[in-house]
Amino acid sequence: MSYSPELERGYRRLLACYPRSFRRENADEIIGVLLATAAEDQRRVGPAESADLIRGALRMRLRPPGRPPGAVLGAMRLMCAGAVASVALLITMVVTTGDLKSAILALDPAFTAAQWHGVLVELAVREWCAPLVVFVWLWLAWANGRGRNWARLALGAWFIFLVLNTLSSLAQGVALVAPADFAVGVVECLIAATATSLVFTRRSWLYYQPEPVRY
Amino acid sequence: MQEATFLILTALADGSQHGYGIITEVAQISGGRVRLRAGTLYTALDRLRADKLIEVDREEIVEGRLRRYYRLTPSGTTVLSAEAARLHANATVALKRLRLAGGMAT
Repeated sequence: MSYSPELERGYRRLLACYPRSFRRENADEIIGVLLATAAEDQRRVGPAESADLIRGALRMRLRPPGRPPGAVLGAMRLMCAGAVASVALLITMVVTTGDLKSAILALDPAFTAAQWHGVLVELAVREWCAPLVVFVWLWLAWANGRGRNWARLALGAWFIFLVLNTLSSLAQGVALVAPADFAVGVVECLIAATATSLVFTRRSWLYYQPEPVRY
Repeated sequence: MQEATFLILTALADGSQHGYGIITEVAQISGGRVRLRAGTLYTALDRLRADKLIEVDREEIVEGRLRRYYRLTPSGTTVLSAEAARLHANATVALKRLRLAGGMAT
């Protein structure tokens, strides 16, 4: 085909979607192949080519740099399950708000409207924080999948936070008035505990490097 | 193993190839049925290199552009052989059963 600077610029714009390290090593080579496979007199990047390059860029960005060992993969799945459990906790909180008041009044008939207002405020804060909790789970799964050493330390810290949060709920009597919420919170703690133990196994250790290696 | 991966490894089975060469080889091997695009190819090549199934054989500069040749590693050869044997065994059983059922001419 006849060389078109416009076409090359179009390819380079799409390649900008790829991770920088991949681009640095492969961009010139890929441009060469793209130009070699372009149609005669082609001046613009076609929709199918664009879709293929964008799909490739997404895969490159979302997947881990190497295949994580089974223990890390298991931990990643558990962290995704943690995100699902957080959504389940949010739904449980919303659905059981009505039952909560009657459960509290059954235990403490002197419970005042002002105290109930305080409970509602706490519930609202927890519900608004739920998307953030889901994000933290998914972010930890992503970072651990990429072999970031700090990510497993962050997972350990997250586990401790969840345990403290659950103990705090226990101290407030949540287990008595909202057993479903408490049960889901305990499940989250167990998920975090198992995932943390998996990322600190001997087989996982080698995967976590200060700087993940790319080829 | 995905078909594209199998075909890329097959394209490298009898010697090293550069990116464009792999695309043409894959098209030829598949009888024109599979036409790899550059994005798909290089995502697969990156994964195969990370898994140490292929490696860079050599690099050349052709018309001012980098041309990198890839080849199978011993591990890649083993994986491809195992996958080919598996597909062959499955195909053999399928053909045998079809013959027994009279579903195809012998």
